[in-house]
Amino acid sequence: MLRMPEPDQSTLARRKDIIAAMRDIVPNEGGVIVDEDQLRPYECDGLMAYRQLPMIVVLPENTGQVAAILKYCHTHKIRVVPRGAGTGLSGGALPMADAITISMMKFNRVLDIDWDNRAVVVQPGVTNLGITRAVEHKGFYYAPDPSSQIACSIGGNIAENSGGVHSLKYGLTTNNVLGVEMVTIEGEILRVGGKGLDQSGYDLLGVITGSEGLLGIVTEVTVRILRKPETARALLLGFNSSEEGGNCVARIIADGIIPGGLEMMDAPAIKATEDFVHAGYPLDVEALLLVELDGPKVEVDYLIERVGAIAKECGAVYSRISESEDERLLFWSGRKNAFPAIGRISPDYICMDGTIPRRRLAEVLTGMQVLSQRHGLRVANVFHAGDGNLHPLIMFDANQPGELERAEAFGADILKLCVEVGGVLSGEHGIGVEKRDLMPEMFTEDDMKHQERLKLAFDEDELLNPGKVFPTLHGCGELKTLHAREVANKFPDIPRF
Amino acid sequence: MTEVISPTTPEQLREAVSWALGSKNPLEIIGSGSKKTYGHSVAADHVLDLSKLTGIMFYEPEELVLSVRAGTSLAEIDALLRDKNQQFHFEPGNFPGLLADGVSDHAGTIGGLIASNLSGPRRIKVGAARDHLLGFEAISGRAEDFKSGGRVMKNVTGFDLSKLMAGSFGTLGVMHTITMKVMPCDEKTRTVLIACDDMESAGRAMTRAMGSENEVSAGAWIAQEEVGKFGMDMVTGIGSGIVALRVEGPAPSVAWRCEALRKLLADIGASEELHSANSHTFWRAVADVAPFAGGTGILWRVSVAPASGGAIAAKLVANTGGKVMMDWAGAQIWLFLPGGDAMAAKVRDIARLHDAQAVLVRAPDDIRNQVSVFHAEDAALARINAKIRENFDPEGILNPGRIGHRLTKRGDA
Repeated sequence: MLRMPEPDQSTLARRKDIIAAMRDIVPNEGGVIVDEDQLRPYECDGLMAYRQLPMIVVLPENTGQVAAILKYCHTHKIRVVPRGAGTGLSGGALPMADAITISMMKFNRVLDIDWDNRAVVVQPGVTNLGITRAVEHKGFYYAPDPSSQIACSIGGNIAENSGGVHSLKYGLTTNNVLGVEMVTIEGEILRVGGKGLDQSGYDLLGVITGSEGLLGIVTEVTVRILRKPETARALLLGFNSSEEGGNCVARIIADGIIPGGLEMMDAPAIKATEDFVHAGYPLDVEALLLVELDGPKVEVDYLIERVGAIAKECGAVYSRISESEDERLLFWSGRKNAFPAIGRISPDYICMDGTIPRRRLAEVLTGMQVLSQRHGLRVANVFHAGDGNLHPLIMFDANQPGELERAEAFGADILKLCVEVGGVLSGEHGIGVEKRDLMPEMFTEDDMKHQERLKLAFDEDELLNPGKVFPTLHGCGELKTLHAREVANKFPDIPRF
Repeated sequence: MTEVISPTTPEQLREAVSWALGSKNPLEIIGSGSKKTYGHSVAADHVLDLSKLTGIMFYEPEELVLSVRAGTSLAEIDALLRDKNQQFHFEPGNFPGLLADGVSDHAGTIGGLIASNLSGPRRIKVGAARDHLLGFEAISGRAEDFKSGGRVMKNVTGFDLSKLMAGSFGTLGVMHTITMKVMPCDEKTRTVLIACDDMESAGRAMTRAMGSENEVSAGAWIAQEEVGKFGMDMVTGIGSGIVALRVEGPAPSVAWRCEALRKLLADIGASEELHSANSHTFWRAVADVAPFAGGTGILWRVSVAPASGGAIAAKLVANTGGKVMMDWAGAQIWLFLPGGDAMAAKVRDIARLHDAQAVLVRAPDDIRNQVSVFHAEDAALARINAKIRENFDPEGILNPGRIGHRLTKRGDA
């Protein structure tokens, strides 16, 4: 069972004072939420299995207020949980009983669209899709597109380093963000990066991205935008085995083709989505590939043909090419509705997020079937096949005693399997609380201590988002001590000149 | 006398760092030592030489992944990748050649490349070296093994320390194993050359090209007096300065996009095309900063918002009398000062005015001892950076002074 840091009784005892202080800083109507019924919507994020009412919720409206809140929390040693749109799937925004949840959703303005530099400056509460909406009238878009893009905030995308179906070709958040303004727990305002490309000094932008709210609160984001490709077409390819499907993916990439999207679904996922959206998916195949090519029309037409030929060589038993924009969107509608489709056939499901070296796919899928039988639960797979990012959907019924625990144990076993074959625990959803206790599967104590030493440089008192990412936080003293075992006084016995 | 320690295994590397930590002997860390004059000099009696810590751990072309020991030479890696028609997508140039005599065949090690986060022309489209580092293993200044990242393309497991290590000049840890994303070479490459002498028009032309649908993978401006250094008749034949724009991809697409670019920028000047091998040769020379390689003059690299490149380049020339080349569609300006004066105050004043950063890439030792090589970060960032450094290398034994924290704290020269 998930253990969170014990609530600090002295903080709880000071709740009234803290509320008064927060109201001083954020006097706006509705800026400080304290009543239980109004706190309720904040009790979880997209990982709904875990819930906890926050001590209070504060909704600041400007950077000055964020700085004042954090400075107060730093002075009075109060824990803070940053929150964006609350769509995260790993519990990164799970509240704590003794912590202030800071919601950034009032930071919802697009501040500057710099067409010449192809850069957009937004506040962190702007939704991912909101950025594209702001620039699409001139033919531009923001590339990373997590499936929650209609609701998720760009600030949350920074925290999780979100990906999406187009990340194979266009990268994750980290490859598309140019700069941030971030407030530290001490209330200091940092500006990192900008519209230029390279900066001197350590790459703080690179480590802030994906830091899951443990280093500071981002108050402004500069992202790069791209010209929308002239056209896009998709192919649906069916195979008799996931091995053949996986082989086809490898062949496409080895041929030098990097598709805009390259998705795979297994038989249970195909059936569930087809029953739900009727996208015309074939039901007699074991693996379905959705390949999207984008770019100038002449390029897309050329590559569609090449991918079609490769698929044939790889034994595709089904092949359909989108002949219109409507048909392309229909192909995608199945894949994009895979999660709700599973929701229709199972009372509950959890979505895992490991990444594996692609060539181990068949082996991992087989292993997953063995685990499925062992745990007595069904699983369906959707897969960002191009970059090896698996999303097994484990089906269960939370009303049956013990099923949630079994589903979690099944999920943990899948992630262990991913790590075993050279993969990782999370491709795009983050660690949060969900995968926190699995971190030692991938990292040694020393690995994690070095990560924590980065945190220490920003937040020595460990007030920002405690209980997330690291199974146990080592105290500042332990992290800073040099242990005797680490040092040797004897000159090493190695070649020297 | 300087003693050189050359570990051949990660264990020996740990032993060496452990000894340095225990005896408080700072280490100067080098790969092949080809970029020793980039950055500040390190005050250390011991050199930790990684050039014997070599080898390919694995290379899986279909998975687009390569893992090597940090001391492996870029020449060896290049040959390996070329054999499978693959490449580092960020196309690093021959930086050592730029720093030294310009004819160096010693293009450094992968460790040195990543530690200094150097990227070539394609950086505007595909990101920097740091964006292609999938994972690493290292020994920190605490003589402890640590790693981050992995071998897969998509990974958000824990803090992304790979980003921190790229460009840290060995001041946080000594990497011994490096895992990189590699990419297939494009089927075709072509370059549109447009006659253009005026820097500001060139800047605007590149901005228009980058804002178009043509997926330009590199954009540069070369002054007329520098085009001869490319040693290509087709380039000198234009008889003026040039804007160069590259497109890559499947053959029909490349032809189509070239045509579209030439139409789009017809008002700028007459245009010409370089195909395949010529296009490769041209961008190799841009990556190597050919116009200013092979000399000893002072060289600055000014990083700016791309659309302001033309205007800032013109200003730099007007104020310093130097020569410039623009890469990254204007976002990177190379400023060459043939005299002995780095004119740091002038260069940095202009940079500051435009929210840009200036790095002194090449200068004699005495100048680098007086002038901060890197851009001085503001006080708040400097504090965070100093804390990170202290947490990873508490005794300051790894490349002390290399990125000149003492200098930057004191302020600009």
